[in-house]
Amino acid sequence: MFLAALIPTAAHEVSPDAALVHRLLQKDVSAFEQLYDRHSRLVYGLLLRILQQAGTAEEVAQDVFLQLWRNAGQYDESRGPFLPWLLTLARNRALDTLRLKSERQRRREDQTEEMPSVAAIPEFEKELDQKSRAKRVRALLASLNPQQKKAIELAYFEGLTHTEIATALKEPLGTVKSWIRNGLLRLKEELQAVT
Amino acid sequence: MKNCDQFREMYEAYALGALDAAERIALEAHLATGCKDCAKSVKEAHWLVSQLANLAPGAAPSDLLKGRLMKTVHAEAQQAASSKPGIPVWIWAGVAALFLFSVFSARKVEELRNEIRATNQRVATILKQRQQLEAQLEIAKREAMILTDPASVSIALASSDPNTPPLEAKWHSALGMVLTGQKIPAPSGNRVLQLWLIPKAPGGKPIPSLTLRPDAQGKLVLLVRDPPELLAQTKALAITEEPEGGSPQPTTGPRWVGGVS
Repeated sequence: MFLAALIPTAAHEVSPDAALVHRLLQKDVSAFEQLYDRHSRLVYGLLLRILQQAGTAEEVAQDVFLQLWRNAGQYDESRGPFLPWLLTLARNRALDTLRLKSERQRRREDQTEEMPSVAAIPEFEKELDQKSRAKRVRALLASLNPQQKKAIELAYFEGLTHTEIATALKEPLGTVKSWIRNGLLRLKEELQAVT
Repeated sequence: MKNCDQFREMYEAYALGALDAAERIALEAHLATGCKDCAKSVKEAHWLVSQLANLAPGAAPSDLLKGRLMKTVHAEAQQAASSKPGIPVWIWAGVAALFLFSVFSARKVEELRNEIRATNQRVATILKQRQQLEAQLEIAKREAMILTDPASVSIALASSDPNTPPLEAKWHSALGMVLTGQKIPAPSGNRVLQLWLIPKAPGGKPIPSLTLRPDAQGKLVLLVRDPPELLAQTKALAITEEPEGGSPQPTTGPRWVGGVS
């Protein structure tokens, strides 16, 4: 957090992503292509991991990027960085696809409207580039015990609730809750520690 | 009242979508109360959860995906660009409506102006009539006061023609004089009757006063507010027939004469 304070202009500069999104509002095709090139691997990788099918993942990726193109105004730069917003949007779309016509579908729809606009960026994140962060995340998850890692993956990639995960892993509900929360808090500490 | 403690362990699971319905509803209800601390924590949890995307192995989508997207995006951008310069139909409709409203308003304003003008004219006419009536009333009152006041002096004006009825004058030293007569023949043509005051002073010339004509029924009433000579200094009244507008001195012999007693 204190490193951010050492670089006072960093917090006020418009990020490259935000600048490109501004141009999207003017229907700038070049800006869209740049955003696609910057983030399509990560978005597609996430979708493929959730959906497990390349064709379906591409369909959802197409929906996500077209939504970005057509509704760029939905992204509010003042409420958080662009990439987490885009990833949240992609994840919600993928989980919606997985659970189409289910009760959970309705719950996800509710979150789809809210999630992309509320991913606040902690101070420490501003100093950490994407590659370094990805490495840290993978290393941290790899260090967890397999069941704890599995619980987090079931929640994130399959959209299961605590109860559903406890059932799937045949573990007590309280244990599952602790695993997930402690795992995420360790991830937070890990990301903070590198700054 | 803040009761955030029970929610502190839920932020990450909420952002992950892992809370069971009851917990999720409880936290959302709490967020709906406007708790800024919890809202901030939830936002940070959303960011933290978004980092889990890095667990997915990086994978490149096919070039076909980018091709499809760029084709769609280009087409929509061109459509947006081509529709920009044109003025939307609703704007034209608005302009037309504004124009019609302006014409309608201008016509209405003109109608209102005409109405105001006519009303002003009616008011002016009524005021004029009222002023005339007030003047007539004032004259009638003054005539009545002169005719009924015992202080008024009666002067009988006999005609030189025995077939012509006499005239009568009532002279009040303060209010003026009223000359009346009935069945008085009208002067010929445009000629008028003119009142003269004959002063007592020796050699004094007749002093011209007002002119008048009897009405169609031969009725004659003349109010002289300020006679040109004092009652006490007047010897007689005389009436002659004169050209329209009167004369500075008599041009005909008197038709009526009456001495002031």
